[in-house]
Amino acid sequence: MDQHKRQIPALDGFFTWPSQEPALIGATCRSCGQYFFPRFVIMHDPDCEDREQVEEVLLSRKGKLWSHTIIHYQPPPPFRAPEPFQPYCLGVVELPEGIRIMGQVTGCKMEQLRPGMDVELVVEMQYEDEDNEYLTWKFRPVVKK
Amino acid sequence: MREVAVLGVGMHPFGKFRDKTFVDLGVFATRMALQDAGLRWKDIQGVAAGCFVWGGLSGMLPGHQIAATMGETGIPIVNVSNACATPASALRTAYQMVAYGSCDVALAVGSDKAPEGFLPSISVDESPTDIDVVRWKMVGAPNPAYFAIQARDRMERYGTTSTDLAMVKVKNSRHGQHNPYARFRKVYSMEEVLASPMVCDPLQLYMIASTSDGGGAVILSSMDVARRHTTRPVRLASAALASTKFGSSLMAHRPPLISFLAGLLDLSKTEVGVAAGRAYEESGLGPEDLDLVELGDGSTWHELFLSEVVGICKEGEAERLLREGATSIGGRIPVNTSGGLSSCGEAAATQALAMVAEVTWQLRGQAGPRQVENAKVGFCQLPGAMGNSGAVVLKV
Repeated sequence: MDQHKRQIPALDGFFTWPSQEPALIGATCRSCGQYFFPRFVIMHDPDCEDREQVEEVLLSRKGKLWSHTIIHYQPPPPFRAPEPFQPYCLGVVELPEGIRIMGQVTGCKMEQLRPGMDVELVVEMQYEDEDNEYLTWKFRPVVKK
Repeated sequence: MREVAVLGVGMHPFGKFRDKTFVDLGVFATRMALQDAGLRWKDIQGVAAGCFVWGGLSGMLPGHQIAATMGETGIPIVNVSNACATPASALRTAYQMVAYGSCDVALAVGSDKAPEGFLPSISVDESPTDIDVVRWKMVGAPNPAYFAIQARDRMERYGTTSTDLAMVKVKNSRHGQHNPYARFRKVYSMEEVLASPMVCDPLQLYMIASTSDGGGAVILSSMDVARRHTTRPVRLASAALASTKFGSSLMAHRPPLISFLAGLLDLSKTEVGVAAGRAYEESGLGPEDLDLVELGDGSTWHELFLSEVVGICKEGEAERLLREGATSIGGRIPVNTSGGLSSCGEAAATQALAMVAEVTWQLRGQAGPRQVENAKVGFCQLPGAMGNSGAVVLKV
């Protein structure tokens, strides 16, 4: 990343930033136990006794890749990406909270992606202009130590 | 409730029509349906209309614009907006008008115009509180990505191959070549489909339905009215609509959401499973009674998956059904004799009406070279977004 540019979330309120270990900002219902992401898209269990007990929570930073695709065509705005367009991997990652989250997968070769592989949350640039780098959340395979 | 007949159907061919408005497409279909029914416009007592992708105030008032063009008669007009389930909802609304006796003749009409390529967000200010903005800007998830991610999971579980995904397109193109309303009438080979550009791996260009323009109209009536016009009326034996039941982990039909429940896929909790179950219950018929099926094949993965959800085969057996030729015309249970969305193209507010038109022609024996012999009962799965599906059973 260019050290002279400001690094700011492309949209605010989806992950903690700035942070050495950024996490997704979700929500949970203390009554029915469901987890939600983003925090304003709420989907209670219909048997939930009390829909007032929704609290903001940080979601687990690690999960397992459930399934993925590779996008070969540039989507229309408001999607933005550096030119020239490069195919990217889009994954769905299962978290211990019992939900699956969509996000791009980065930091490995596409042919290395396997269902069930351990991944962790990272924040990376999605696009930039002259002043700023605009960030989003992505998932990266956990490097075995 | 009383029995409801499909008295007339009309279609504007699918395609791209720069010089026509979506109203033109709806009026064209309406006039054809009136002619098919043997009715005049002034015989229509209620309208349920839909438009979706075109959007805006104009797109929210399709029924009134179509009625104005036909000539304003003071009848009740309901415009429905239900994303890709818009035409399914228009059909169900018109069905209820007749079934519950509020009128004897009702029109369901839907027409749409769509941009080329991925259907984009229409939010103007990129608000971080609009989930449809979030899924494009932060995630980069076009609709086919949802299909592709679910398709890859199927490949893992059932060993589905790219060849299977391509074979659905080949089969549907053989059907669609005989459909005069289809946008794509070319017959594709396996080699051509497998050589088409990759869009969202594993889905290639010819495995994904193309966003298109189109118009469809279905005139429903009481059986009394129908018997004055035909000796063998097609009955709409159910017009179910359903949403997801909590606990379904199906993500393919969930745009614009970006989080989904984990867990094994329970077909009975998917919106399609609920809708199909309801349609079978209401009609007193089951998957074993069907002579043909139209399924919402937004991608070729859809046709495999939906075959199982609506019960024409067991889970994990759709590929075998396809390979054996059972879902081809002449097979045990032909699927998408119209050529499906694959051949027709996808005009969101039109699809369900096109499916009902196809099955109506089949049950009347008017389907020409794509006729299913001796067809008496047909089923249509009417697609929708975010967990929304219609299901109808038609019979003679």
